[in-house]
Amino acid sequence: MKIQPPRWADRFLEWYCNPQLLEEIQGDAYELYYRTVKESKTKADLLFTWNVIRFFRWKNIKKTNKKITQSQASFAMIKNILVVTLRNFMRQPGHSLLNIGGLSVSFACAFLILLWVTFEYSFDQFHTDTNQIYSVVTHVKSDGAVQTYNAASAVLDVSLVPEVEKLVSVSTGDRWPHTLCFKPEAGAKECVYLNGVYSNENLFSVFNFSIIKGDPNPLTQPNTIAISEKMAYLLFNTDNPIGKTVKLDGLEAVVASVFKNIPTNSTLQFDFALTFDILKKKWGASEEVFAQNFFDTYLKTNKETGPARLTEKLNDVRVVTEAYKVQNISYQAVPLSDWRLKNKFENGKQAGGRIDYVMLFIIIGSLVVIMAVINFINMTTARATTRAKEIGIRKVTGAYRSSIVLQFVSESFLIVLIAFLIGALLTQLALPFFNSLLGEHVSIGILDGWVPFYLLALLIIISSLAGFYPAFVLSSFQPVKVLKNQFSTPFTGSQRLRKILLVIQLSVSAGIVIFSGVLYQQLNYITKKNLGFDRSNMIRIEPTGALLRNFEAFKNELRKNSSILSVGSANSNPLTTEGGNPGVTWPGKPKDQRTTFKTIGCSFEFPETFGLKIIEGRDFTSQPQDSLHTEVLVSAEAVKVMGLKNPLGEIIQIGAAQCVIIGVVNDFHTESLRASRLPAILYRVDYMHTAGIYIKYQPGTTQQSMAALNRVYSQFESNFTMKYWFQDDTFNEIYKTEITSSRLVVLFTIVALLIACVGIIGLATYNVHRKTKEIGIRRVFGASITQVMTVLTNEFLWVIIVAILIASPLAWMAANRWLASFAYRIEMPWWIYVATFAIISMITVAIICLQSLKTVLTNPTKTLRSE
Amino acid sequence: MKGVYLGELEELVLLTVGILYPEAYGVAVMDEIEKQAGRSLNISAVHSVLTRLEEKGLLTSKMNDPTEERGGRRKRIFHLTAAGKRSLEEAHQMRTQLFNQIPKVALQFQWV
Repeated sequence: MKIQPPRWADRFLEWYCNPQLLEEIQGDAYELYYRTVKESKTKADLLFTWNVIRFFRWKNIKKTNKKITQSQASFAMIKNILVVTLRNFMRQPGHSLLNIGGLSVSFACAFLILLWVTFEYSFDQFHTDTNQIYSVVTHVKSDGAVQTYNAASAVLDVSLVPEVEKLVSVSTGDRWPHTLCFKPEAGAKECVYLNGVYSNENLFSVFNFSIIKGDPNPLTQPNTIAISEKMAYLLFNTDNPIGKTVKLDGLEAVVASVFKNIPTNSTLQFDFALTFDILKKKWGASEEVFAQNFFDTYLKTNKETGPARLTEKLNDVRVVTEAYKVQNISYQAVPLSDWRLKNKFENGKQAGGRIDYVMLFIIIGSLVVIMAVINFINMTTARATTRAKEIGIRKVTGAYRSSIVLQFVSESFLIVLIAFLIGALLTQLALPFFNSLLGEHVSIGILDGWVPFYLLALLIIISSLAGFYPAFVLSSFQPVKVLKNQFSTPFTGSQRLRKILLVIQLSVSAGIVIFSGVLYQQLNYITKKNLGFDRSNMIRIEPTGALLRNFEAFKNELRKNSSILSVGSANSNPLTTEGGNPGVTWPGKPKDQRTTFKTIGCSFEFPETFGLKIIEGRDFTSQPQDSLHTEVLVSAEAVKVMGLKNPLGEIIQIGAAQCVIIGVVNDFHTESLRASRLPAILYRVDYMHTAGIYIKYQPGTTQQSMAALNRVYSQFESNFTMKYWFQDDTFNEIYKTEITSSRLVVLFTIVALLIACVGIIGLATYNVHRKTKEIGIRRVFGASITQVMTVLTNEFLWVIIVAILIASPLAWMAANRWLASFAYRIEMPWWIYVATFAIISMITVAIICLQSLKTVLTNPTKTLRSE
Repeated sequence: MKGVYLGELEELVLLTVGILYPEAYGVAVMDEIEKQAGRSLNISAVHSVLTRLEEKGLLTSKMNDPTEERGGRRKRIFHLTAAGKRSLEEAHQMRTQLFNQIPKVALQFQWV
């Protein structure tokens, strides 16, 4: 077609016109155009343009209108929103900073928890096909109870289970021969202690511990060692020590490979890997003896077999072997990915584990965020009073509700975003502190892996939660009422809501405060509780063969120092002796009675060193033992359990050994106070059979004693560097989880209180603002300042009472459940409930008074005059 | 009768749609009104009246097949609905009835 109506007019029509109407409108316009163009083109063009302009009507453009105005106005709109947000921020800087501060702190808390949780969930996930790797646990059923061990037979044969592709046994441990003393090549005298594993050739093919240098499949040759990068640098100061020899006190191994340092989120941690051949030589164990051992065992299956099916196949009699079947031993395959978080077994059943803590902190983190969001909603809606007129004017001048919603949502979004960024910054800064608090190394940063996506999702959820409600409340005001100053009526609804939200918030805070109070009391109780023996001012050192052979001389040399009080040795640390010995028999023991004893083998100095009191009979003496009977000391409780009238001289049996009771000592605890105390038996053993040397020194002479100890140690043992622990540290280690969580709980208590304070401040400010006139009138009629304050606080008092009523039973339940996990625990401290109530009330009253004082003190004529 | 009040222009357009059956669309209606009543309307005005009438349920419409004269665009063809027909009848009846009630003398009255 040659003749065309003016392009721009046509385009304009196409642009504004509702697409549903475009065809007929354009059709008509064109028809008229073609009709007129026969007379004159100019006239036709003019007519067409005129028609297009006339068609530019509300009805024709209405549908597309929204899109148009928004895209057209978006820049101006955004600018306006920004400006208004900024102005509002500046108008009440204190209020705004409070708002952002509260949000940021809670975000930081939530992020830290998120990082930690992500880190916990990332454990053992870096292996290829990690869901095809299973860990084997062993259930041993005896006397109706099932004990579970994280190990399987050293000679477990899975050739009958076709699904299993590879099996890897790993022998792990904390002490010799897993922790060995290595001398750096450079000739330093001090040796470095490093921890490693003994395993078979599948270790590096089942797990993704990447090998940087050397044989990609080490441990195939018996005398080879694979070492970590860190160890390579420590020993050889090079990244390529392949072919060098490593001395393993007595034995030697050739470095075959260097592997990358094991990531912190691996359950298996080691700096070197050796073959089982070396372990056999170290232990001096024959094949038969070795075969009786149980090691950590992992299976790699060729396809995804369910753990249930794998377990079933492992328990086939040909796999478990007849001998173990008779001993009621059964295996269970546990997915490796569950290993970190669900590693607790009770009576053969999976019973949580770390996952409990992970869940607890997920709940706490969510509560903190919810509280912060509630605050934000409260403060934003409360501030609506000051903004009602703005909204009214906007509406009067023709704003849609949707654009007002958009404005408030964007404002909330902006504030949430700022708080979010500050929170992220705080998280990054607080991470090292958080790590040291937890005693862990959370190696995930805020920008790693999926974390940014989680954060983004969180940001969207939070900003919409925090933004939409206030936006809809604020945009619902009727301009007529608002501009006539009648906004008390439409507010009552949201005011009730605000109070409900404050109740929730205060309940959470009060709950956390109460719970942490109970937790603190209990931890205080266990750390102060008399265990029955001394643990302070005592050092435990790792014995070596040379030390134990020359124990007497070593002891005498040490005793020459006045600061060293006593030296003894034992085969287990009374602080951490777990489990019990059921194999004790005594005269008149009923056949079916099953009693577990703590049995500790020790040198004759032990009772003295640990400050045990002899109640009856005598202590061990330095005299050589009777060859017939081992001398034993029993605790008072043991005497009671055995029912012996006259315990001295009685002959009892521990396993097959004949023992004679020579004395009775006071009761003492031998493990975490979570477990109840067991009757104890101390039997004398030769120094060579002990596993720890305990040195008691005078209080306040730690440095002196350590110096003496170091000197004497190097005198007797030149090949090793002394490994030592303070008993107090070991004690704290037992309650590590409790202490860590108590620290975290304290942290969250502070945060919870802080956020609650922010909430109260926000609401109090609003309340005072709303009641300015009421206060003025009351003052005019002669109310005293105290009376006015009482009126203002009364409203909040009810909120606090309701919050306490909700929080107390919940906190009581939680605290009670936690306390029940301790065999020795405090009575529920009721005063904590009262104290929490008092503290929260006091804080609230103080905040309200501070906030309202200014208004109350203002001359009422001023507040009443302005209208 | 409540709700459906016909304006003067609306009545005119409605009648024209009836006249033009079955070929009543925007331009045709505009032309017919000009021819019959001598009133020159803008096409957009006709459109808005047609849409309004359709919204009132007095007209119904559908798109016809494309024709060459409009650059291949389709027309929206309007039809009277039953309600439309009834309201025309009622309007007509009302006028006749009212007209017949005018006293003869009033019509013969001469203005000075």
